[in-house]
Amino acid sequence: MESCAQKKKYAAKDYKSDLKPIWCPGCGDYTVLNAITRALAELALPPEEVAVVSGIGCSSRIPAYTSVYGFHGVHGRALPVATGLKLARPDLTVLVTGGDGDGFSIGGNHFLHACRRNVDITYIVMDNQVYGMTKGQASPTTAPDWEGSKLTPEGTGINPFQPLVVGLASGANFIARVSSSDPVNMARIIVEAIQHPGFSLVQVLSPCVTFRPEQQEWRDIVRTAVVDYTDDAARAARRLMTDDGFNVGKVLYKGSRPPFRPEFENTNGSVTELEARFAL
Amino acid sequence: MSGALQDSDAINTLPVLLAHALAMESEAAERYGELADQMEVHRRTAVAAIFRRMEQAEKAHLGDLTEMCGKFELPHIAPWDFKWRHSESPEVIDFTKVHYQLSVREAILLAFEHERRAAEFYAGIAQNATDPDVQKLARELAAEEQQHIGWLEAWLAECGPGDAQASEDPDPPLCQE
Amino acid sequence: MTINSVSLVIAGSGGAGVVTAGSLLLDAAAQAGWYALMSRSSGPQIRGGEAAAMLRFATEPIMSHDDSFHLLMAIDWDNIGRFSAEIPLVAESLIVGDPAHGAAPAALLAGRPRQAALAMSEIAGRIENGRPNMVALGAIAGLIGLPPEAMQAVVEKNLGRKGQAAIDASMAAFHAGFAAAADLPATPKLPTVATSVAAATEPRWSITGNEATGLGVIRGGVRFVAAYPITPATEVLEWLAPSLAKVGGMLVQAEDELASINQIIGASYGGVPAMTATSGPGLSLMIESLGLAVAAEVPLVVVDVMRVGPSTGIATKSEQSDLNIAVYGLHGDAPHIVVAANSVPDCLFTTQWAVHLAEAMQAPALVLTDQAMGQARAIVPKPAELAFIGQRLTASAPAVEGERYKRYAMTASGVSPMAIPGTPGLTHTADGLEHNEFGTPSSQASDHHAQMDKRSRKLTQFNYGDHWADIEDSEVGAGDTAIITWGSSTGPAREALQRFSAAGGRARLISLRLIAPVQPEKMAEALAGIKRAVVVEQSHSGQFYRMLRAFYELPAQTVSLHHGGPLAFGPKQILDQLNQLNAGSA
Repeated sequence: MESCAQKKKYAAKDYKSDLKPIWCPGCGDYTVLNAITRALAELALPPEEVAVVSGIGCSSRIPAYTSVYGFHGVHGRALPVATGLKLARPDLTVLVTGGDGDGFSIGGNHFLHACRRNVDITYIVMDNQVYGMTKGQASPTTAPDWEGSKLTPEGTGINPFQPLVVGLASGANFIARVSSSDPVNMARIIVEAIQHPGFSLVQVLSPCVTFRPEQQEWRDIVRTAVVDYTDDAARAARRLMTDDGFNVGKVLYKGSRPPFRPEFENTNGSVTELEARFAL
Repeated sequence: MSGALQDSDAINTLPVLLAHALAMESEAAERYGELADQMEVHRRTAVAAIFRRMEQAEKAHLGDLTEMCGKFELPHIAPWDFKWRHSESPEVIDFTKVHYQLSVREAILLAFEHERRAAEFYAGIAQNATDPDVQKLARELAAEEQQHIGWLEAWLAECGPGDAQASEDPDPPLCQE
Repeated sequence: MTINSVSLVIAGSGGAGVVTAGSLLLDAAAQAGWYALMSRSSGPQIRGGEAAAMLRFATEPIMSHDDSFHLLMAIDWDNIGRFSAEIPLVAESLIVGDPAHGAAPAALLAGRPRQAALAMSEIAGRIENGRPNMVALGAIAGLIGLPPEAMQAVVEKNLGRKGQAAIDASMAAFHAGFAAAADLPATPKLPTVATSVAAATEPRWSITGNEATGLGVIRGGVRFVAAYPITPATEVLEWLAPSLAKVGGMLVQAEDELASINQIIGASYGGVPAMTATSGPGLSLMIESLGLAVAAEVPLVVVDVMRVGPSTGIATKSEQSDLNIAVYGLHGDAPHIVVAANSVPDCLFTTQWAVHLAEAMQAPALVLTDQAMGQARAIVPKPAELAFIGQRLTASAPAVEGERYKRYAMTASGVSPMAIPGTPGLTHTADGLEHNEFGTPSSQASDHHAQMDKRSRKLTQFNYGDHWADIEDSEVGAGDTAIITWGSSTGPAREALQRFSAAGGRARLISLRLIAPVQPEKMAEALAGIKRAVVVEQSHSGQFYRMLRAFYELPAQTVSLHHGGPLAFGPKQILDQLNQLNAGSA
């Protein structure tokens, strides 16, 4: 293959580990893993300079399926781990992968503050409106009348969480929605998300074939958003609040807020100077 | 990254054709392998075997292509700039098209459909290209896909009636994390 | 009393300047060459609440407050009665109050202290811009023998930016109070050791436990801190934020404690030594992720400045009751390090050591301090330079060339070389799921057992040296009696031992710094020949005593001296127990 080596140094499969995913065949997460590896190859990032951080859930298994540095933490806390990692190591490209329950329920507070803090990381949320690892309970993005779980046999009766609206209001600097039925475009948008400074939020409509088999129809329901992205948050808010959640395939909002990036300043201070302040 | 290919140069040179073919065949080999892995992980060994055989077929095909590529400088084409009709290349089965209870027959039909798409893709180029070298290579590539289709037809014929329907799993899904 | 010391309280309501007066007095004592300990107590109000500054001065280093106070200087009486339990007064004590504010509350008079009046507000009123708290300071100086020049130097330094007029007004009020002290009943006086800091006999520091904690982690190599404000740990963070910036580090204020702990996990995974500081409620929130740091083998330090629990408890006051959660709070078998500082300056030693331990063993280290030592300011001998620097065993290539890197490789020490992100060829996923040597998730019993053994081995095989405990004997030897204690109960225990020793007694003090992993062999050595012991701790349920009982062979005659916070033990309480133990055995 070396003789064919074109301009890029890496192929998508260079970013995949030897570990075989445990996801159900047909799961949208396979596509996301594929899109992430394609995006990294296109960016030609050396695998050791990339880290993928996750919490708990089906989609949070992604780090181990990649060949980059990975961190698989506890439920709901991927964003703070990624925040600490990126602030401590600004030279790394940091991605966070997870699901709707991990990000918007148990990790909801971190989601708000990650958007607000605007650290230069990319958050890819595989939204299937269900908890897959625990056998199919309603998640924050589940419709109120979904009766598929024994925990909420009459449906949750609660309106679903609107991640993109909340993300925008909280300060996310880049917002996109993609569908797992369009992996190549997903890769393109992940490339853009990584390249855009600050906190980038990518919602992936990623069907759960086991607990929400009806979601396989999403591939026929989704439509490419008719308008291109806006940099006007108010306009983006109006669009996001009036769309039905199936406008996909495009970046919806790009902000220009500078990322939170406190520097490890070399102020030439020393510990001895700190100690001197205590000396009488 | 280079910009999108212009329609004017749509697959009418050998390097562009080879870049497409190389991408498609390597992705197809990889995808068949991944689908075989998925089925193996889920103890669907008969279905896994179908995908594994196709992976081998594509790898062999890829080997020939790679050799040919060595003689040319291929353009870099971003994944979204290839001239595919669908999101991914014609030969690549969409991850979301399979499912846990896929039968052997369904797997063969799925592969059949994508091999046929690949053959049509090359045949279309053979028909539309003006460069005689491109026409010739595209015809050869289309013929190879036809060979795969032939195998799949044979396997389909061997399929017993038990392989026709999606299987059933009497056990419920399990809790993990 | 064997220590030549004087103890006093300055009390008053908000606006009386009690806290400022206490600080000025402490600084002036430093000028006079004295050693000092100052703690504060305050009401729940953000502003305007009653406050008390408790100070003890001595001509030699001190680690504890005395059993009672020689002097209570009350600028007014508003709600001071609430502190009566924290201000033990005896017949020799002297209460000085301002007649303008009426009589002393009955709650302060149970010990029948002497009383005297000083018209602080009236005297201050005669001086332009004079303030009663400076009059009070003058009177205190006159009573305890603090030279006015010492205060002059401190006032000039502290009020310099307000101009000469402010300095003059303050000193005029001070001198008026100083002169008035001649008419007050006497209290013990301390000899002046020096008339300036430069003339003092040895180098001294003025530092709080929380500042010492901050300095300790920086000395240990920490350069990333994420934290959420909480009393009484906030001062650790306030000191660290600007200090870290000076040495190329950073502090991030997180959205909650769940974020703090996970941010430092992320930073440490990235190769930058990291810590957070919190108190009991915050520690409770961090517990799940501490388990993650155990499983993923991410070194980090968490300081718990303990306060009265459970729940919000008494946020501003001290207790040694987070021992159980620190040792046992994590679910699963989760070997981790728990260390405890036992004095204000020891906060520096112990946190620096904790960074060293965490980094060396790639495990989380919990440091227990408490409000009493954290918010206390002390004048102490300059702490020693310490060699401990956090040093992590890192990997730059696979152990066997050409083989896949094993993040959790089995090693004799249990410590596996850690690849820091950015290192080519060693990419891996660190995982909180049980895993095999590569880090690949595994639910197999053999992997679980092997990894548990390894994580446990790291801690049990480490050489902790002599630092696991402070062991101090009476001048004439250890005898057969021991005081076993930890944390800030060590201060009064040390003084009890000194008094016991001065009275001809022989005993040994064992103050545990390393709470977990336990050190049964070292303890057995320390307890050789000991027949009787008293276990001292500030916990209602005797958490420390129960832990000792579970893991150590204690002398047959071992008694537990424990009570809940916020009241600290006085040296006499411990001394009485020592005497009782010995009398019973005689």
